[in-house]
Amino acid sequence: MLSQAVVKRLKEIVGEKNVVTDKVGLLTYGYDGTLLSGEALGVVSPTTTEQVVEIVKLMNEQDIKLVPRGAGTNESGGTIPSEKSVVISFTKMTKIHEIDTENFVAVVEPGVINFDLQVELAKKNFYFPPDPSSFKASTIGGNLGECSGGPKCFKYGVTRDYMLGLEVVLPNGKVIQTGGRNFQSEPGYDLTRIIVGSEGILGLVTKVFVRILPIPRAKKTMLALYDKVEDASQTVADIVAAGIIPTTLELMDNLLINTTEDFTHAGLPRDAGAVLIIEVDGYPEDMDGQVKTIGEIASKIAKEFKVAQTAVEVDQIWTSRRSAFGSVARVRPSYGVNDITVPRSNFPKAIGGVLKVAKDFGVTIGVVAHAGDGNLHPLILFDQRNKEETETVHAAEQALCMMALDLEGTISGEHGIGLVKKKYLDKEFTPAAMEAFRKIKRSFDPSNRFNPGKIIDL
Amino acid sequence: MSDVNISKLKGIVGDAYVIDSPSEMAKYLKGQGKPAVVVLPASTSEVSSIVKLANEKNVKLGVGGAVVDTQGITGGIAMVMSRMNRILEMDHLNLVAVVEPGLLHKDFILKVAEAGLNFPPEPYVIETSSVGGCFAIGDSDSKSFEYGPTRTFLLGFEMVLPTGEILEIGNKCIKNVSGLDFIHFAVGSQGTFGIFTKLLVKLLPVPEAKKAVIGTFASMHKANATFNTLIKRNVHPTRMNLINASLAKIAKPGTEGQLVIIDLQGFKESGKNIANEVASVLTLGGGSDVKIIEEGAEYDQVINGWLKVRAELNAKPSEIVEFVVGPMKMPQALSQLEAQTGDLGAYPGIIVEGLLGYVCLALPEGTDKLALARKVNKLAMSLGGNVKGLLGHKLKAEVYNDAEMWKQTTSLLSELRQQFDPKGILNPGVSLEA
Ligand SMILES: Cc1cc2nc3c(=O)[nH]c(=O)nc-3n(C[C@H](O)[C@H](O)[C@H](O)COP(=O)(O)OP(=O)(O)OC[C@H]3O[C@@H](n4cnc5c(N)ncnc54)[C@H](O)[C@@H]3O)c2cc1C
Repeated sequence: MLSQAVVKRLKEIVGEKNVVTDKVGLLTYGYDGTLLSGEALGVVSPTTTEQVVEIVKLMNEQDIKLVPRGAGTNESGGTIPSEKSVVISFTKMTKIHEIDTENFVAVVEPGVINFDLQVELAKKNFYFPPDPSSFKASTIGGNLGECSGGPKCFKYGVTRDYMLGLEVVLPNGKVIQTGGRNFQSEPGYDLTRIIVGSEGILGLVTKVFVRILPIPRAKKTMLALYDKVEDASQTVADIVAAGIIPTTLELMDNLLINTTEDFTHAGLPRDAGAVLIIEVDGYPEDMDGQVKTIGEIASKIAKEFKVAQTAVEVDQIWTSRRSAFGSVARVRPSYGVNDITVPRSNFPKAIGGVLKVAKDFGVTIGVVAHAGDGNLHPLILFDQRNKEETETVHAAEQALCMMALDLEGTISGEHGIGLVKKKYLDKEFTPAAMEAFRKIKRSFDPSNRFNPGKIIDL
Repeated sequence: MSDVNISKLKGIVGDAYVIDSPSEMAKYLKGQGKPAVVVLPASTSEVSSIVKLANEKNVKLGVGGAVVDTQGITGGIAMVMSRMNRILEMDHLNLVAVVEPGLLHKDFILKVAEAGLNFPPEPYVIETSSVGGCFAIGDSDSKSFEYGPTRTFLLGFEMVLPTGEILEIGNKCIKNVSGLDFIHFAVGSQGTFGIFTKLLVKLLPVPEAKKAVIGTFASMHKANATFNTLIKRNVHPTRMNLINASLAKIAKPGTEGQLVIIDLQGFKESGKNIANEVASVLTLGGGSDVKIIEEGAEYDQVINGWLKVRAELNAKPSEIVEFVVGPMKMPQALSQLEAQTGDLGAYPGIIVEGLLGYVCLALPEGTDKLALARKVNKLAMSLGGNVKGLLGHKLKAEVYNDAEMWKQTTSLLSELRQQFDPKGILNPGVSLEA
């Protein structure tokens, strides 16, 4: 419980309505995209950088930790209040300060929802390439906290690649700027890059300079259907070998085809073993050649290949993909999202590995994957109310992580470490690397005030 | 008397690779410092042993690819990485290579091209830059609009820390958010976090086509105005660069006036139309000798000319001022700059990377660099930019009248450096104070 005096001070800083301390109110902030939960002492929603500074100073005085939070959709336990802490929610810092298309920059507050920024940009025929499937809900601050990916990474990279500069409130309550409005502004060390993906453990981001791009002139969306997942991964390898860089190579297996069909009725054949969504973009003149090459490659193995002819068809394809996570809820009440990544050449082996884990542990696993990136999201379906089953699921999740590491991959391609994967981190990293993380954390936050317990312990 | 133990060094790398006669050392060194010895290790474990030895007696150590900057290492060790120059792996399926840091950047580009692949970052100084140096400096260049800055191409590395410990990190996955992002944070740290001993580098397929459009302009401003026209027409080439008259002669002997180079990589079918569009924009904008170059050797000549100019400027960091503005603000930037410097065409040198809004200005002898940088920074800030890098941050903080922010930034930087290098041994010449 926060003392009356502290609550009063918080209310003075951010206003009465921006402080939550009642049980029911706190409950909602105890959850995120995972099945974990915790309870915060309070929730405070600042609207300006100055307020953030005041909050940090007050919390330092009171020796209370801060847990930064955007929309809370992360899949890592990254916003679970795990110690004596107050949640600092950025959902009221939603201003788009500036969209400067001529100079390829937008300046936004961290609470801006990715989708809302896309809508504003689209009016000017621009876009912000990082678009995690959660983009209708997730915030720019959260995207940068996790260094989120999405379906376009193969060509366009991840959130890291679109962050030009940040305004950051440090754990000592001081404000710094990293980077600027262009590539060439980092002060000696690339501070922007170390903040991106740091899951709120190094600093609170209060302003973001993002790189924006013109919407490509043309785009083609294709769909290939396969008997087996392995066949789809062969197409992926062949496309890359042909020197083509598609924006998107998204894969769903039979289970996901069926669950998304239940939901969207997009017309995917329910007996297909896998579907691959392929998208290319660029100049109109370059589209036909690429579509032709991809068609030839895919048709060697695919049982069906088609090119979306209308915007409606494109939409339909994407609706299936975007509803993938949610759609499985009809099968079992709970699902655990995994996020392993392997070198592309090991993708077929990773698919085999997932099947083996499903069999070994007797669990149901569906696979969605950003196949071009070697990034798989095995979804384990279960019932959280069944304690025994839940434990089996955790064991299976661990097995998936170990399988990825055996295949020279990583335990997280885009969702982050947070609390969920912290226990496996030293399986991926050597003691020297783990110590490097601690050195960095210590430099920013020697007293472990921001998002304690996430990623590493000091 | 120096504390360097020459015989122990010889024990580590072999007699032939420890050089302590000043005349033989010279070719490995640049700058005013006087290190006691040049040492050329051949393996990670040798690098580690050397660093550990330096730690015992608190000896300063400077590292370079082919040439070491001697600032701050008088009496210390200059470590040259040129013997560690192998490509350990070229992996076509995953589009990555594992390479040692001492390989020359230009040789790496050749080897990558022979393998049918592409490593986009431009060599910093063509003749001497190494792959290790490329990532230690970690700059962006005129292709970064399309390909991203240098850091985009690092997926992992092996590094000898300032304590001699060996750190390995990264994997062949193009998406990886595990742990803190030390992989990309190390890029641009100028050898202060450690010495790269292996680099896991991301590659791309070779562009399906390459073309360039060049033209010359009597006026810097007219040349630059064509860039705005192209951006407004939604044309984003791979490079969109401008070289002033005095440097244009180096890039392309015989050039009269300012040289514009538009590079188009990729664009297989569309390239013809885009090249025509670019050519007409240049011609209508007042360009003469506008030419579309499709032939490979001539294309390479043009691009190499650009790299040569860039290398000459990069080789003299104390004699240039670099700044960035919003790309569309460049015409204003150049006019306002000219008010400070006089006729830009006649200046010792100026280049513009149009897509990035980047300007590099070579200074006439006797210029007070800091004073000019201060003025230029104000100008740049009013146009959505700033002077580049650490100096730019210092000057920005000055403009904001925010000494506190500058103090915070530098104390964070030095805390980070100290965490990694508690004794301050590695590359002490690198300043993080601007
Ligand atoms: C259905 C669904 C689909 C998804 N699809 C994808 C996908 O395709 N790709 C992908 O990468 N992820 C995906 N995710 C995961 C998640 O949506 C992303 O990680 C997202 O970027 C989180 O944004 P958020 O606003 O919800 O952040 P939160 O969950 O609130 O926070 C994320 C992290 O950032 C920190 N943080 C938030 N704001 C700040 C700030 N201002 N300063 C400092 N730190 C801050 C938090 O402490 C936390 O560690 C998906 C999740 C769901 C539920």
